[in-house]
Formats: sequence, structure tokens, C-alpha cells
Amino acid sequence: MDISFFIFLSSGLFLGWSLGASDASNIFGTAVGTKMVKFRTAAIISSIFIILGAVYAGAGTSQTLGQLGSINTLPGAFMSALAAALTIYWMVELSMPISTSQAIVGAIIGWNFFAAKPTDITILSKIVSTWVFCPILSGIIAVILYKGINLYLHKTQLHILRQDCYTRIGLILAGAFGAYALGANNIANVMGVFVTSSPLKSLDLPLGISLNATQVLFFIGGIAISTGVATYSQKVINTVGNGVMKMSPLMAWVVVVSQALVLFLFSSQNLQHFLLSHHLPTIPLVPVSSSQAVIGAVMGIGLAKGGRDLNWCLIGKITISWVATPVIAAIVCYISLFFIQNVFALEVFK
Amino acid sequence: MFHITLSIFSQTKALENKIDLFHDKLLDAAMTFKKAIRIYLDEQRSDAFRKLSKQIKQIEHDADNLRRDIENNLYTQNLIPDLRADVLHLVENLDRVINKFDEVIYKFYAEQPAVPSEYNSRINELCDLTAECAENMAKASRAFFRDRSSVRDYSQKVYFIEHESDLSTRKLSEAIFDSDLPLANKLQLSGFINDIADIADTAEDFIDELLIFTIKRDV
Repeated sequence: MDISFFIFLSSGLFLGWSLGASDASNIFGTAVGTKMVKFRTAAIISSIFIILGAVYAGAGTSQTLGQLGSINTLPGAFMSALAAALTIYWMVELSMPISTSQAIVGAIIGWNFFAAKPTDITILSKIVSTWVFCPILSGIIAVILYKGINLYLHKTQLHILRQDCYTRIGLILAGAFGAYALGANNIANVMGVFVTSSPLKSLDLPLGISLNATQVLFFIGGIAISTGVATYSQKVINTVGNGVMKMSPLMAWVVVVSQALVLFLFSSQNLQHFLLSHHLPTIPLVPVSSSQAVIGAVMGIGLAKGGRDLNWCLIGKITISWVATPVIAAIVCYISLFFIQNVFALEVFK
Repeated sequence: MFHITLSIFSQTKALENKIDLFHDKLLDAAMTFKKAIRIYLDEQRSDAFRKLSKQIKQIEHDADNLRRDIENNLYTQNLIPDLRADVLHLVENLDRVINKFDEVIYKFYAEQPAVPSEYNSRINELCDLTAECAENMAKASRAFFRDRSSVRDYSQKVYFIEHESDLSTRKLSEAIFDSDLPLANKLQLSGFINDIADIADTAEDFIDELLIFTIKRDV
């Protein structure tokens, strides 16, 4: 295989690394911050389950992104991923609640424009509607879980130590599920643009495990995300905690489970097949933002606890990011593609 | 993994028992205190009083050991890391109340104050209020560990009883200083009254902190 593939893949790997570094705090942030779970344990569990989620359940969201725009050359995919990464960097500098999903969608649209390919408005509106629906759904799930847990605790009168013990186990299980859902849902952001142009072949592993070409690509992306978790997420956890507010371990559990369920719902092909087979409306398989799902869950709990004021500033920032992130990413991608095509004479589309 | 989980559960169960036992010690101390003062006022330093004095010393000693055990276990087993400092603080303050019961009884034992019989009923009333305050404090603390919705109820009782004990202390002090007793006796009795009332004050301070810890835990 040509070494240039890995050079072009580097922007996707970088995107994966930064996703792992920032989003692991959504899964294990409070658990590690409150010393309920050791960072080492959290990093190992996250890494394993992110890779599993990416390899075995990442196809659904990638297909949706592929329907939006099928980037068919490696330099084009490289530039799209790099444009998304640069946009994320700028949005972080502006303290905006960033989403890798929104950045990559913007970059794909930028590529569509540059390559004069049509953008499927139905797919785009489906994707955009999930961005709005994701924090709301996460909030609703969080409220149901919060009320349920309160009822359970009131009925059982568990000792605080026993409660702590269950919470610790619950945080580990929820973290594993959260990592699996993150890998399944967000691998499309990292590797989705490379699917069409990837020269990778299927791989047969010992114990009868075989991975198709896309799964091999997702495996590499999963490793990039896991590297981000292992090398940099502790720093993120130490500086910003879970990024939203200080929570008790039990509340953290509710938030992690809500977020993981939302990510899982938006990426599970099995669930989609199940709903289809029962003639029920399906949930679109779209990469969504884990950070915004967390914010939705925290706000849901805040409202359920009788908080009267919504954090309108944060809601405003999220709304702006829904528009600003893809628009900036599209513009950056368009300019970058122009640059790489004319300066380096690389073929960015076919 | 299964073995580790089981071990965590058994360690937790053992510590739960110790915390429960510690609260029992506080209730024992409050009841023994009440009984000992009653006997002292009737019989002074009789054998029965000596026995109760020893008993309360033993309770204080056992509570100290339990406190150290609880503190050790919380740290060595890395339990409730986010709440550990608060729980240690609570346990230490509960222990402080047990110590105060012991100190007052020892003071009676050592100084043997002469208490005119007309004050007996009022002193008994103050001791009952103080003991009741401590009992409700123990119940509030127990509720913090199991049923936080009840913490407020018991706390309210502590505040009410502490206020009553303040009123009782004032009336008793005024009556003592209005009497014809020698000044030395007045000062000594007033010191004892204040020491008893101080237990209720400590319980009130404990409740202030407990309510904050409860709010913190609910966040």
C-alpha cells in the first residue's frame, strides 16, 4: 500500500485524536474527577469500547455521511478532515460548544460545492434536525432516569456507602457503554470521508475474526480516538472536569447514560432494522455531538430539580454553533481544496 | 472481577455497621448522661453514679476507637471519595458531643458541686433537653446516610430543642445568681449549667454543617 495513504489519512487521525482527547471527558470526566474511577481504568475501558463501537457499529452513521457527499479522492478527504479540524480549533478558541459532527458535515458540503456535486437536501435536513433533537432527547431521557433513581433511592433507603458502591460500578458500565456509543456514532466524523477513497483491504485475524475494508479503516480511526483518550483526555478532565458543571457521581451516571443512549439510538443499525421490521418510524443514523447531548442532559436535570432559569447563554451558543460550525467548515474546506488543487496539483475530486 | 466486587460489598457492609454502631454510642451516651445527672442530684457521688460515670467513659473510649476505624477504612478502602472529607468531619463532630457528655459527668465526679435541691427539677429539665437535642442530632446524622429527605425534620427538632435549652439555661442562671448562695458556689453552678447547655449548642452547629452537606450531596 502506498505510504501517501497514511499521509492523507493523518488529518482524519488528528481529528480522531482530538475527538478522543475532548469527548472522553463526557464519558468518564466526573467519575475520574471525583476519584470514583482511576484514570487508568477509565482510559483502558474507553479505548477498548471505542474501538469495538467503531468497528462493529460505525457503519450506519458513515453511510448517512456518504449519502450527503461521497468524497472520492484521498487528497479531497484529507483536506475535508483538516478543514473540520481547523474549524474545531477556532471554535474552541471562541469557547463555543463544538461538535465534530457539525464540522465534518460542513466540510463535506464544502467539498460538494467545490466538486460541483449536488447536496441531498433531504439528507442534510435529516442530519440538521438530529442536531436539534439530540440535546432535547438527551434531556428527556435524563429527566426520566433522574426521577426513576430518586424514586428508587427513596423506596430502598440505601446506605450512602452502598449507594456509592453501586454508583462506582454503574459509572464503569455506563462509561463502557458511552465509549461504545461514542465509537459507533462518531467514527463517521473521523473516518467517514475516507471510506470511498480508502485503498485498504479486508483483514482476517486469528480466532476467526475478519474485518472488511471499512472496518479496518474504522479500526485505525478507533485507535486514533483511543490514543487521544490515553494521551490527552486526563488533562482535559483535570482542567474542565465534565465541561458543564460540578455534579455528584450519581448525577454523572444519569448524564453519561442519557448521552450514551442518545448516541446509541442515532447509530444502531440493529435498532433501525427492528423498527423497520415492525413498520415503526425509524431513527436516522447520524453522527451527533456528545458534548451537546451532555449539555441537554444536565439542563434536563436542572429543570426537573425545579430550576426556573435555563442557561440561555449556553443554548444561544449551541444554536449559533449549529449554524456557524458547518458554515465555517464549508468555507474553510472550499478554500483549502482550491489551494491544494492549484498549488500542489492534487486531484481533490473525480 | 467478581471477587473484587464481592470484596468491595463486604467492606462496605462492615463500614456501614461501624457507622451505625457509632451513632448507637451517641444515643447511649445521651441516655447515660441523663441518668447519671439525675442520680448525682439525688445521691451525689454514690456507687450508682460512679458506675454510670465509668460507663460513659467506656462509651467515649469505644466511640473513639470506632471513629479511628471509620476514618481508616474510608481512606484505605478509597470509599466515597467525593464525600469522604464531609463524612470524616461529621464523625469527628459527633465524637465531640460524646466527649462533652463524658467531660461534664467527670466534672461532676471530680468537683462534686453542691446543688441546692430547689434547682434539681430545672437542671434535670435542662439535661433532658440536651440529651434530646443530641438524640435528634444522631437521628439526623443517621438519616444523612440512609434517607436524606428526613434530615430536615430532625434538624428542625434540634433547632427547636436547642432554643428551649437556651431559655432554660438563662432562667436557671438568673435563679442561681438571684439566690443567697456564696459567689463561689454561684460561679461553679453557672459553669456546670453552661457546660451542659454547650452540648446542645454543639449539636446545633453540627446540624448547620449537616444541612449543607445534605444539599451538597443532592447536587
